Amino acid sequence: MSAEAKPQNAVDSVVEVRKLLNKIGNFVLHRDLDFEVRAGEVMTLVGGSGSGKTQLVRVILGLKRPNGGFVRVFGVSWDDPSFVRVRAARERMGMLFQNGALYSAFTVYQNVAFPLRERGGLDEDAIRAIVYAKLAQVELEPAHADLLPANLSGGMVKRVALARALALSPELLILDEPTAGLDPDRSDSFVRLIKRLRTENRFAVLMVTHDLNTLNDLSDRVSVLADQHIIASGPIDEVRAVPHRFIENFFGGERGRRAFTDG
Amino acid sequence: MPASQAALEIEELSGAGRGATIRVSGDWTFGALSKRRFRLARVAADLQQRPARALRWDLTGITALDDAGAVWLARALRSAEQIDVDPRFRTILTQASQGLLVQRPARGIDPLAGVVRIGQAGIEFGFHLRDGATLLGQLVLDLVRVLRRWRDFPLLELSANVYRAGVSALPVTMLVGFLIGVVLTYLSALQLKRYGADLLVINIVGIGVVRELGPLLASIIAAGRSGSAMTAQLGVMRVTEEIEALSVMGVSVTARLVLPKVLGLAIALPMVSFCTDVAALAGGMLIAKLTLGIAPPAFMEALPRAVEVVNFWIGLGKSVVFGIAVAFVACHYGLRVLPNTDSLAAGVTQSVVASVTSVILLDAMFAILLRDVG
Repeated sequence: MSAEAKPQNAVDSVVEVRKLLNKIGNFVLHRDLDFEVRAGEVMTLVGGSGSGKTQLVRVILGLKRPNGGFVRVFGVSWDDPSFVRVRAARERMGMLFQNGALYSAFTVYQNVAFPLRERGGLDEDAIRAIVYAKLAQVELEPAHADLLPANLSGGMVKRVALARALALSPELLILDEPTAGLDPDRSDSFVRLIKRLRTENRFAVLMVTHDLNTLNDLSDRVSVLADQHIIASGPIDEVRAVPHRFIENFFGGERGRRAFTDG
Repeated sequence: MPASQAALEIEELSGAGRGATIRVSGDWTFGALSKRRFRLARVAADLQQRPARALRWDLTGITALDDAGAVWLARALRSAEQIDVDPRFRTILTQASQGLLVQRPARGIDPLAGVVRIGQAGIEFGFHLRDGATLLGQLVLDLVRVLRRWRDFPLLELSANVYRAGVSALPVTMLVGFLIGVVLTYLSALQLKRYGADLLVINIVGIGVVRELGPLLASIIAAGRSGSAMTAQLGVMRVTEEIEALSVMGVSVTARLVLPKVLGLAIALPMVSFCTDVAALAGGMLIAKLTLGIAPPAFMEALPRAVEVVNFWIGLGKSVVFGIAVAFVACHYGLRVLPNTDSLAAGVTQSVVASVTSVILLDAMFAILLRDVG
């Protein structure tokens, strides 16, 4: 896409975190943390258990207020007094929660249609077409549309949640452990799906994952969260070369060698 | 064709006869479309007039395509045959046009819907009775079991429930009791004054409070306070699969969760209703002094003569039964909650309604059974 073809409000970094200080009670989780997701890239966030990956994502989503520093998504801070600006930024992003977070009182169809209806501007036929197109994208049958989330298997919940996250064709898709709980076949088709969607509409992805295969297949850049801040950020090969205990364990272990030699 | 622009551009080059070539270019995304939706609607209406086969579509100029754009195009394309499209957009277009073809099952009006609903409600009621009987039987079996094996007795849960349903309920129930005592005494004092039967106010307030209102108020507040909490707690445990986890560990759900709640309320409610009696009588005493000039010592002296002590025991006995009923109904509804939020909300509502109703039904039965006593 040429520079003048971008919408005027496009910014180079869709997510910008600067000097973040994040505490839980008196416990400092993040200090001096800088993090960035650029437009159109797939950024993978890795880090050990308890390093605060999910908390960082919650701060980026505006679900937790940082204790210091600033967080901007599409150039908008979540503290922005303008409801319209915040809402517009929210409509440009989609979130896949780790456990799906489907609305349990809604059917699959209503769950996927919900963000479309909230945004408005589309008639019911168009919404129906988009919902079924999304369900087809995540390999769900039209017959599944009228099931309730309680009646779905874990993998299906994940796919419905992905369909809902994608419903607004977001410019930023945030994925929290997207392939956890999927069989290897589904993980691969998930990776293929994200790749294909990104050829049609070049959106940015922020992904938290432990799955080295997914990481290797999708990421443009990787950020490593350890010791309360991002210790390394860049293309996989650069990050792997950084000498740090966590990075050596994460990428250098038996699993890591397998993932990177196969890929 | 002009250079690809940020928005979208439909160029219509009228060819020979009815045919036309339509060039589509630019960003076909929801944001870009909504800026031009009125103009586009006009273009679309115009295109619908022409035979679809005569139109030639050139979609190669599209730079970005999202679902909203794809659906718009899929509708405009209809059965067009000559379509040039960038291969990367082919899938999304195909999916959008297939999505348009899916029919939602039409929901017609069923003339027998009313009959079906009544039938379903009847069957549902039958299930409630069956599950209630099962739970009651299980509860009795579990009670016998834990009484035999004292180590399994859920003493900690029992005391927690007595505290929650009893001690922490005292302020609100006593306040309500006091106010009801005030109202009851005031209204009867107004009537009794006309007949000069001032002292009868002690009989009315005494019997009314000790035998009826104390236990009834306490259990209705318990149904709203503790009953709803019990249903919600069991319901959420069902949603988060904690109930299943308990069963898998071989811990009886009825013995560990239901039994301490039922026993706890059976123990707590008589005490709460005793305190409610005291508060209501205090309210009555205050108003008797203010409106009729009956001094508190005189009130206290007349009370045992006006209200036989058996009424007090009836009141306490009733509140034990009411406590069992409220906790039992609450647990019954809590265990029936399905793992979704709607069912949880409905379960809590139904539980409160059902437990209040059951308390009043039981009270009526007591009134008939014990009409010759006291």
